[in-house]
Amino acid sequence: MTNPIFWVGVLTLAMIYASLAMSLNVESGWGGMWDLGIAGLLAAGSYCYVILTASDPDLGMRFAPGLSMWVAWPLSALFTGLVAFAIGAPALRLRREYFLITTLAFAEIIRQLVVIQADLTRGTVGIANINRPFDSFVTGRDYNYVLLGIAVVTAAVMYVVTRQVGISPFGRTLRAARDNEAVALALGKRVNRMRIKTFVLTGVLIGATAPVYLFYIRAISPQLFAPGITFTVWTALVIGGLGSIRGGLAGALVLIVFTEAVGLIEVDPAHINILVAIEPFLVGLLLVLVLRFRPDGLFSERSSFGAARRSAGDPAGDAARVAGG
Amino acid sequence: MELVLDTVRKTFGGVVAVDDVSAVMPQDKITALIGPNGAGKTTLFNAITGFDPPDRGSISFGDRRIDGLPPWRVAELGLIRTFQTPVGFTTLTVRESMLAAATPHFAETPVGALGLSRRARDHERASAARAEEITAELGMSDLLDVRTDELSAGDRKLLEFARSLMAEPKLLLLDEPAAAVAPANIGRLSQLVRRLRDERGLGSLIIDHNLSFLMQIADEVHVLDRGALLASGPPAEIAADPEVMRVYLGEETDGDG
Ligand SMILES: Nc1ncnc2c1ncn2[C@@H]1O[C@H](COP(=O)(O)OP(=O)(O)OP(=O)(O)O)[C@@H](O)[C@H]1O
Ligand SMILES: [Mg+2]
Repeated sequence: MTNPIFWVGVLTLAMIYASLAMSLNVESGWGGMWDLGIAGLLAAGSYCYVILTASDPDLGMRFAPGLSMWVAWPLSALFTGLVAFAIGAPALRLRREYFLITTLAFAEIIRQLVVIQADLTRGTVGIANINRPFDSFVTGRDYNYVLLGIAVVTAAVMYVVTRQVGISPFGRTLRAARDNEAVALALGKRVNRMRIKTFVLTGVLIGATAPVYLFYIRAISPQLFAPGITFTVWTALVIGGLGSIRGGLAGALVLIVFTEAVGLIEVDPAHINILVAIEPFLVGLLLVLVLRFRPDGLFSERSSFGAARRSAGDPAGDAARVAGG
Repeated sequence: MELVLDTVRKTFGGVVAVDDVSAVMPQDKITALIGPNGAGKTTLFNAITGFDPPDRGSISFGDRRIDGLPPWRVAELGLIRTFQTPVGFTTLTVRESMLAAATPHFAETPVGALGLSRRARDHERASAARAEEITAELGMSDLLDVRTDELSAGDRKLLEFARSLMAEPKLLLLDEPAAAVAPANIGRLSQLVRRLRDERGLGSLIIDHNLSFLMQIADEVHVLDRGALLASGPPAEIAADPEVMRVYLGEETDGDG
């Protein structure tokens, strides 16, 4: 068996993706806004954090206030919320696929801005050895457990916050407006304003996760925020169940553990490139299989809300459902 | 208070869907809007509720101009409409749909979602009780936890009506509320519409092709034909109007419901 430290790392990464997927679920699952700009928001939060905590004059950054990480962390979350607002306000005028493409484009714009603003971000050179919390107390391999703890706490916070949004009247109105915007408007719902707020909320949550991602990666550069990361988060959410409460958590665990396990398959070093090539194929296969047997994902939205109460032991409801269907 | 239409006009390309309609609809009375298919009834609803603003003319409710306002603003002023095709909030249950209609703005923010405000919790509890009351009156109690997309067309239609009652209406605009509804439930529907008028002073503006349903409950009837107002008056008078009968008999497809 591989050593436990490896799996601690895998779990840490899974918890980070779980946090991102649960945040995405609020706007995309319940809000119906299919956002392909996760990488951009993550970049905004990450760079905000890195810049605010930078102090080393050797790095040659124009702005390096050297803030404490405990100050920079919430500021990064807020900044990412601002960026989300700047993207959401114009993009939410668009519908469906146009919105989708626009968010993807904004994410790429952010990445290009990072490259261009090299005196602020160190551009493509990037920054290595990012400071991590508690690393003066716990060192060496043991630090991996600390990191796992931080990631688990982050995922737990995301779970509690997103669950609360989901089960609240606010979440209910979000789902209502997603299902039928005209009816929501006819009932006096300020649909657009509500969607922008939701978009900003997701931005804040992703910005809050960004530093944890950096603690894990330890180095930052623009390549890190290519669209690939957005698609991984989406894949995790779809596997887990778009619109469900636990889907992001479960989907990220399954996807990341699966992906890392594939990497462990022992092959002749001569054939390692083949393994690398079929890895995306295997991930695709996993996605297809999950959707074949559980079209709504591992957890469905139905099981998270009203329908759950019905199947919990109300035969009348089931009878009525059959009759009504 | 009343809803006042003054020479409201709406065209789609060459089609004059609403042709200079002027009418006064009291907020506490039941007003029927009838006319053959394609007469422009739904278009008029869309113009009033801000979904499809009129090309010209003015619409006011009480002392406020409402033409040009966005739909959510018109709804906030108390004009709550239903839709002819009852799709609803597909994945929400009947109960959730009712509660969503009643949720106040202050609870509809991410911070409000934390559920810290006592006011929001009290509001939610009161709404839940009201939702059960209204659905009971419409004979839908056993459907409370059924998803909207699993309801029959008739039950979805009833939900359109029930839901609109949750949104603090001052005047209901019901687009064919009786269509596809089972006869027994049409009785419940008319009873409730009447009771709302008599006990709470809440009137309705109702479009329907089911004239036996409509003529029994309406205080006033407006007949629309090819976009224009053909006749207005109390039900008995309209029923005796040869011109109205001609319009209806000329339209073979126009049966009840
Ligand atoms: N969005 C639109 N674009 C183009 N034409 C439209 C549009 N909406 C309505 N119309 C046309 O306007 C006219 C009036 O339609 P409307 O739906 O208001 O009729 P209605 O009186 O509600 O009929 P029904 O009893 O069948 O519901 C019809 O000729 C219709 O084809
Ligand atoms: Mg119509």
